[in-house]
Amino acid sequence: MISIHNLSKNFGNIQALENINIQFDKGNVYGIVGENGAGKTTLFKCIAGLENYDGQINSEFKPLKNYLGLLLTEPFFFSKITGREYIQLLCNARKKEITKIDDKNIFDLPLNQYASTYSTGMKKKLALLAILLQKNQCFILDEPFNGVDIHSNIIIVDLIHKLKALNKTVIISSHIFSTLSDTCDEIFLLKEGKIVKKVFRENFNALELEMREFTIGNKIEKLELK
Amino acid sequence: MKLDKKMKEYFKLQYTMTMRKLSDGYHPIVGYLLALLILLVFVGLSMFIFHKTTFAPYTYVFISLYFTSKLSEIRRNDFLKICFGNEEYRKLRILENLIVALPFVIFLIYKQQIYPVFALIALTALIAFLTLKTTYSITIPTPFYKKPFEFTVGFRNSFFMFPIAYGFAIIAVVVDNFNLGMFSLILVFLTILTYYLKPENEYFVWSYSFTPAKFLIEKIKTAFLFSFYLCSPIFILLSIFFENFGIMFLFTLLGYVYLTILVFLKYSAYPNEIGVLHSLILVACFLFPLPMLVVVIPFSAVKSVNNLKEFLK
Repeated sequence: MISIHNLSKNFGNIQALENINIQFDKGNVYGIVGENGAGKTTLFKCIAGLENYDGQINSEFKPLKNYLGLLLTEPFFFSKITGREYIQLLCNARKKEITKIDDKNIFDLPLNQYASTYSTGMKKKLALLAILLQKNQCFILDEPFNGVDIHSNIIIVDLIHKLKALNKTVIISSHIFSTLSDTCDEIFLLKEGKIVKKVFRENFNALELEMREFTIGNKIEKLELK
Repeated sequence: MKLDKKMKEYFKLQYTMTMRKLSDGYHPIVGYLLALLILLVFVGLSMFIFHKTTFAPYTYVFISLYFTSKLSEIRRNDFLKICFGNEEYRKLRILENLIVALPFVIFLIYKQQIYPVFALIALTALIAFLTLKTTYSITIPTPFYKKPFEFTVGFRNSFFMFPIAYGFAIIAVVVDNFNLGMFSLILVFLTILTYYLKPENEYFVWSYSFTPAKFLIEKIKTAFLFSFYLCSPIFILLSIFFENFGIMFLFTLLGYVYLTILVFLKYSAYPNEIGVLHSLILVACFLFPLPMLVVVIPFSAVKSVNNLKEFLK
């Protein structure tokens, strides 16, 4: 369980997050949606302890970061490190023995190639595989479906279901609403650093319609396409 | 070679970028002082190489070409091709290569090494016509794959230095020149030290479930073990054929001490790169080892632990 109380974060004069109060329970999958710059990644970094903040983040896991698998929007890779070595590095960091990596390579990644030569989707899959092999208790997946092919998309959705079944806490952000409605129990709408809405599964369709209405409005008509 | 306005702007921009990098956010005078210091270190090292080995002119040409080749990186050159016309691009590339090689050319002329000067100028101009990939699909095997990343990445970036260093050690035995053997050992240590110059992305420090002290100890342990692997062929070879075991031991010990300092300096500047201040401290450690080491090691160790606390809570 992760509980956030009165979390605020400023970057100079810019208020990135304002008075966030959320609780993430075990065995649940949570979605965070919002426009670009709404504060999703900042919120994730605060939970992970990669950013300083005002307020409180509590968890049964102490320290939370040692039990947290964090998938960044754009995972960073060294220029001359192979996929296999990347997994080894992240498992070493958490003191996790890793054997038979090839058997666990569910995305069929070319593990002996330099990870920096991978495509965007392959990088995402490698970073995801590494945090899964770390055997974490909580997961923050920032845009896990970004650039990923349709087959892997299906695998990732199933993986999230599996993590839920294993009683893990999973927090996802995605700009593809269908992936969130397939996986999440609750979705939080983040706008200009504030949680403006909390929606349960039964109301996902209404939320999607509302978001479409709000986001698109009559913008496309303005182009006068013929 | 006539420079048009666009090319002049390009070189002006390069100069500004270099000075910004050197001054590192401090007053521009810091940049000029550091440039002067780099020049002095360059002259000092050049003197040292020419004093220590008869192969110095060839080594010197090789080092110069190594730096020049860095400008041939494919993405950089693609960008330049987009910005400049074909002829301008060629002129610009030859000119910037010659600027990089200039200090080496001047020193070779000072040493009256006329043939190496011609060879260096010709090869430097020739390299301007090459573009080199920095990412290859061929994976260079490394013995350090079990514990990424410094030695894994570093070894792949500098693997060619080891046959050269080991070659020097063999030549040292053949020509009975102990100093050349020591030079090969120093070369290995200097290469290893470069592995710790760049900071890693914060994510890779954050990922560790270690305390800051444990994290640093692990880094130093790995550095010691893997540098032992790389130095031992030279150490063993020199131990068999020369009797100056004490000097070899002392140099190896110093190598480990500097490695420790560099690890501490890296993380005392973290998450930033080692800046002007840290570079000056490092140079001072080379110039005045004993008094500096006594102060710098504990100070930078404490600073590193404090810096890492932010990421390893």
